[in-house]
Parts: sequence; structure tokens; C-alpha cells
Amino acid sequence: MTGFLDGLLTALQPQNLAVLLGGSLLGVFAGAVPGLSSTVGLALVLPVTFALDPVPALLMMISIYMAAEYGGSITAIAIGVPGSSPALATTFDGYAMTRRGEAGRAFGISLFASMSGGILGTLLLVAALDPLSRAALAFGPPEYFGLGVFGLAIVANLVGNDPLKGILSALLGLVAFVVGLDVLTGAPRLTLGTTVLMDGLGLVPMLIGFFAIAEALNAVAGRRKPVEAVTGMGGALPPLGDLLRLWRPIFRGSAIGGIIGAIPGAGATIASIVAWNEERRLSRTPERFGAGEPAGIAAPEAANNACVGAAMIPLLALGVPGSASTAVLLGGLTVQGVAPGPLLMTEQAPLVYALYAGFIVAVVFMLAAGRLGIPLWVRVVSLRPQILMPLVVAISLIGAFVLRGNLADAWFALFFGLVGFVMLRRGYPLAPAVLGLILGPMVETNYRRALALSSGSHTVFLESPISLVLIGLAVISFAAPALRSRLRLGRGGA
Amino acid sequence: MARGWLRRLAVLAAIGSIGCGAAPGEVPFPSGPIQIVSWATAGGPSDLLARALADAAPDYFDGRRVTVLTRQGGAGAAGMQYLKGQAGNPHVLGVFTASGTVNMATGRIPFVPEDFTPILRIQVDPFLIAVRADSPFRTLNDLFGAARARPGEVSIAGFGAASAHFMGFQRLRAAAGDPDVRWIAYEGSGDSAVAALGGHTDATHNNYNVIREHLRAGTMRVLAVALPLTALRGVPTYQEAGYDLAPVHWRGVVGPPGLSPEVRADLRERLLATIRTAGFQEYMARANMEYAVMDGPDAFGDWIAEEVETSRTLLERLGLFMNEAR
Repeated sequence: MTGFLDGLLTALQPQNLAVLLGGSLLGVFAGAVPGLSSTVGLALVLPVTFALDPVPALLMMISIYMAAEYGGSITAIAIGVPGSSPALATTFDGYAMTRRGEAGRAFGISLFASMSGGILGTLLLVAALDPLSRAALAFGPPEYFGLGVFGLAIVANLVGNDPLKGILSALLGLVAFVVGLDVLTGAPRLTLGTTVLMDGLGLVPMLIGFFAIAEALNAVAGRRKPVEAVTGMGGALPPLGDLLRLWRPIFRGSAIGGIIGAIPGAGATIASIVAWNEERRLSRTPERFGAGEPAGIAAPEAANNACVGAAMIPLLALGVPGSASTAVLLGGLTVQGVAPGPLLMTEQAPLVYALYAGFIVAVVFMLAAGRLGIPLWVRVVSLRPQILMPLVVAISLIGAFVLRGNLADAWFALFFGLVGFVMLRRGYPLAPAVLGLILGPMVETNYRRALALSSGSHTVFLESPISLVLIGLAVISFAAPALRSRLRLGRGGA
Repeated sequence: MARGWLRRLAVLAAIGSIGCGAAPGEVPFPSGPIQIVSWATAGGPSDLLARALADAAPDYFDGRRVTVLTRQGGAGAAGMQYLKGQAGNPHVLGVFTASGTVNMATGRIPFVPEDFTPILRIQVDPFLIAVRADSPFRTLNDLFGAARARPGEVSIAGFGAASAHFMGFQRLRAAAGDPDVRWIAYEGSGDSAVAALGGHTDATHNNYNVIREHLRAGTMRVLAVALPLTALRGVPTYQEAGYDLAPVHWRGVVGPPGLSPEVRADLRERLLATIRTAGFQEYMARANMEYAVMDGPDAFGDWIAEEVETSRTLLERLGLFMNEAR
């Protein structure tokens, strides 16, 4: 406890407060701008951290990371474009609320859920660093395969009215992920003999294309549904009624984010979609999800912020980055001469405590920045789509370029924009394709890896209890919507 | 900016050739900011090297600004294409690594060593083979012996397929008489360390800096390391274990094609001074990198050509990338 108090005192020193504030503001911005993300935000400040001492350098990086996971929800709610991939699930209900004129309320819920998730994730990091790092080690190829299949089964709940169209959309994502160098053999696949496609089509271009460009084309075509006039602002805290209804989704979302976030390579996007899906599954009114259900914002937003603390678990305990963002963070720490790993807590306790406290302070700044921003976002919402969307496209394309400094990404985004526009007009849902792109590699690579390790025996997936449970849940989750509707039909007939 | 520089070069060369005393090519350098192209992952070892160079270099480039230009994509091809397009412009440099030579050998990227001007090899990062502390293997020969006794059942995790790590291990395996150790490719060195730590594979092919903390904590052991490292005193080298080779990951600086020997020598001197600064040395120590400077006029170029050739021979032997490897 004294360690934590010392850490808090360190984090509250003027210089550290300043970097935490700066990091939080930059993080909200990086999260909210489509194309930019916590990873890009971190990569951009990396050279800046070289000039700082270890503690402020670390605090700057973690505050960007934390705030960016919240920032993604702003664009998700305001215009239905996920500011970064972990906010994908937030678009489902967030933008639906905005169209109903409840943008202010949605912003408030997202902010409160993000804050709660951030704090709960940090508490988890403090309390369960050791056991969760051991759990992360237990995740081998069969377990990752199980997790990937479990995630893909969620597609069943994203397909909308026409399951076939949803499944075709997911298949498109699965084909898109294959493009690039095969991780296991290093051979190029579907690259058409060019180097441009060698590192794949990428998630960011797909998100920008599908959600910003396709929607902009829709707006220009006059097909984007107009947004109702915004009623109510949403305070720093959501109204008591919302709080009472949402604390459970927030806790559940945080728990899901905390566990999935601690598994290297799983990540906040998967965690937030799983959190959304679990809420929908547990709900007595699952049909409201996707149509503006507040819990559909609270759970994924809590989850993606809980992932931030959790993602530090493999980094701090094992010295291994579990996500693209923590990989940049590790680079920054390396330059500072800080080596995370099993000895960090004993050798650099003050730094670790400062990090814990820094997360809490960063969450407070994130809350303040978010709260001050809400009136501004609400004004953005009421802009005419014909003006707003082209602006969003321009900013997104720049964001896509910044990520890798590669113009090809902007072309990929335009390509996905055209594909997405056609899909929208024909009534194909877009989210399943994104899910396919994210989860395809996890499923395929680990399937083949597991078989390489088991000399081709498929029983390996059933021998691992974790993988068995996850595959079982996947089957249930995939079959549930169909079963439920059959059940209802049966009842209706009786 | 770069084009402006080229125009100026052309003008100056023209003036020189008219005969006002200055030999052609004797352009004042640097005449503008310096760019170091990085095509590696942000925060990764190659990117950090680029940034450490950019930090320390200005003093030796007449106070000019030195920036890192990120150009990722196409397994490095995007950045290399950019660098290659700067022919004759010594203001644009790139961090070139073992991965570049492997990618050339596989034919995955459409470049040959001659597309760049080698300037200075700076560091090596020797490969090593490590196991979890409770592994039954104590030596490299234990690992290979088990693979001979139970072909295909011994696995090693490593970064990438047909990658620098993969080549490093395959060279060692060939020297050991091709015991059937299964290479399980992972997305990164950290992931491959976790695979061994979690007991999913029998060993990991890695670098010291990635697993250092686990060695210090006693959760992992090194069976053998390619080159002697002061931090790994007492650990046998590959040579001491009976295999006469030392595959390493290495990183250095190359320029665009078409730099004259004088310009190359000038750049080499400036970079040599850069990597001797206290700041750069501190980076090297913190990142656990070994200086392995190759500063002879042709040493680095010969090394690159040799590495491409070694990889190509190995790929042919393994029957990989036969179509592309031409």
C-alpha cells in the first residue's frame, strides 16, 4: 500500500501530471480519428519519450494508450465510424442511439463505461499480475484456435435479417485476411505477384473503407439515414437510471476485457465484440442490441479500456508485448533501459507503482477530456452528412497513410469503400467481414500450428480443457439464434 | 525536397564540368536534412537503431536535422523502393538487416544487393537456443539427439518462416546432420519465447535481449549461443558445441545506389563518429546489442552478398522458394 501511495505521489508530481494530461488529450485524439489508433499515437510520441526520464516516458505512453481506447468510441457514436478497431462493437448500438437523437446520452454512457473499465482493468493488473500471466502462458495453439472459433461464432449474432448475407460477408473477411505472407511458411498468398499486397490488406484500411468511405458514398447518394435532433447533453455521469441498469454490463465487460486483454495477441477488438455479444446473449431483449441498446455501448467500452491494464500483464510479467500497442511501449521502455520481465516488480517497484497510479490519474484526465468534449461531439453529430462525411473520409485517408507511411493503405481503403458501398446497397452487413479479417489469422495459424505440434492429430483441440470449453461455447453461440427463433415459432404455433 | 537536391546536384555538376576547378561530385555535403528510412515495426530493434542514429547523428552531419522516415509495407519493399529511388542522393539512408538479405534470397522482394550502397554494418544480435528452466535438455546435442530418437516430435519456436531466424536455425540444423526438429513459426520473437515458456514447444530460437529477464530470473536456460556474449559467460557457443558456424542477426546502414566511393567513405566516417558517441553507446548497452562494425570499404558489401548467397544455397537445399528464388 505504501508502494502505491509513493507511486501516486510520483504520478502527481507536476512534470508527470503534465505528461499524463498531454498523453490523455493526444490519446483521445488518436483514438477518435479514424485511421489513427493507440498504436499510431504511441509510435508518434516514441521519439519524444527518448528525451524524458523513464517514469514520465512511461506515463506519457500509458496515458495515450488508455485514452485512445476511449477516444475510438467518440467517432463510433457520433458518425458510426469506429475511431479505432476496438470501438467497432460500439458502433452497433452507439450510432443507433445517435440516429434516435440520443447522442448525448450515448457519449455519457461510453465515457462512464470507459472510465470504469480503465479502473477495473488497472485493479486487475495490480491484483492478478502473477496468476493472469500464468494463465496467458497456458494459451497455446489449441487454446488460441478455440478463442478464434468462439469469436467467429459471434458472426451468427451480427448477420441481421439474412443469415446467408452475413455469412458471405464473413467469408469476404476470411478471404481478405489470407492476402499477404503466410506466417507459417513465409510464402506469399493471393499477392498477385506484387509486393504491395505482401503485408496484407490490413484492418485499418478495411475499417476506413467500410465505415467512413462507404457511408460517405451513401450520404452523397442521399441514402444515409438522417440523424434526429440531439436531445440532452449527457453529464459527467450518466443519469442514475442508466447507472443502475448498466453496472452489470460494465462489470461483465470489464471482466471479459481483463481476461482476453491479458492473453497475448487476442486484443481489445476481440474483447469488446465478445463483451457486446455476451450482453446480447444474457439479455432478455436481445433484439434491442444493434438498435440502440445502452448496454451495447457500456459492455464493449468497458471491455476495451479494461484491456489496457490487462495488456500490461504479459508485458510486465513476461517481458512480452501482447499487442501492437504494447510492442511500441516495449520499444520505449528498452530505450529507457527498463527491462520488463519476471524481476521488474522486485527490482523496479517504484516504477511499477508509478505506472499503476499513472493509469488511475490517466483515467481521471480521460474523463475530464471526454466530458469537456461531449458538447463538441454533439455539434459534430448535427452537421449535414453531405458535409461531414467527405471530411471524415479525408481525415481517415490521412490516418491510413500515417500508420505505415504507405500510400497503398489509402488505395486499399478506397477499394474497401467501394466494396462496402455495394454491400450496403445490397443489404449485406459489414461487421462480419471485419470479424473475419481479425479472427481469420488467429484461427488458421493456430489450427496449423497445433497440428504441426501434434503431428496431425486433431484430438489436440479436445484434450485442452480451455479449447474444449471455447469450442463448446462457440457451437452454442452459433446455434443459439436459430434455436431461439425455432423455439419461439414453436411456442407461437401452440 | 529530394528532387530539389538532385537539381542542385545537376547544376553543380554542370558547373564543375565547365571547368571552374571543382571536380564533378564534389558537392558540399550535407546540403539539407538527412533522412533515415525505417521499414521495420515501430519500436522494434531495427526501428530503435534508426532512431538512435537519428538522435546521435546531427553533430557529425554539420548540425543538419536527421529524421526517421517510416515506410512500412511489402516486407520492407516499400521502404527499399523509396531508398532505391533516391539514386545518387547521400541524404537518404536506410537501416538494412539480415531480414533484407533473406527476403532477397527468397525472391519475395524484387531487389538485389546492388540496388543499395552498403555503408556500415553496426551491430550483431547473435542467435541462441533457449529452453524453459525445467526442460530435460541441457545441451544442444540433447536437443538434436532427442530429435534423432523421435523424429518430428521435438519442436522449436522461432520468429517467422523463411525469415532470418529460420535461416539461422536451418544452418545450424544442417551442420548437425539435419535432425528432424520441427520449426514452429511465430509472429514475433516475444511470442516464440512465450511458446517455449508455456511449454507449447520444446525450445525457442531467439536473441539475448528478448529473453534476458527470463535468464536472470532463472525461468529459462540457454543451450548454446552463436557468438560468445559477455553476459552469457559459461554458455557454450555453437562452435564449442561442435558446430562450426555463427549465424547472427545483424543491422547496418545502406545508402541509395550510385554513391561514389568518396561519398561512401565520407558517410562511413560520419556514421562511425556517430556510433562512438556516448548517447549511442548507451542505447547499445540498454538494448543489449553487440557492436560488430564493418567499416572497410567493401567489407559490408561483401558480407551482404555472402549472406544472400548463404540463404539462397540453404533455400535450394530445403527446396523452398524454388520458383521465386531466381
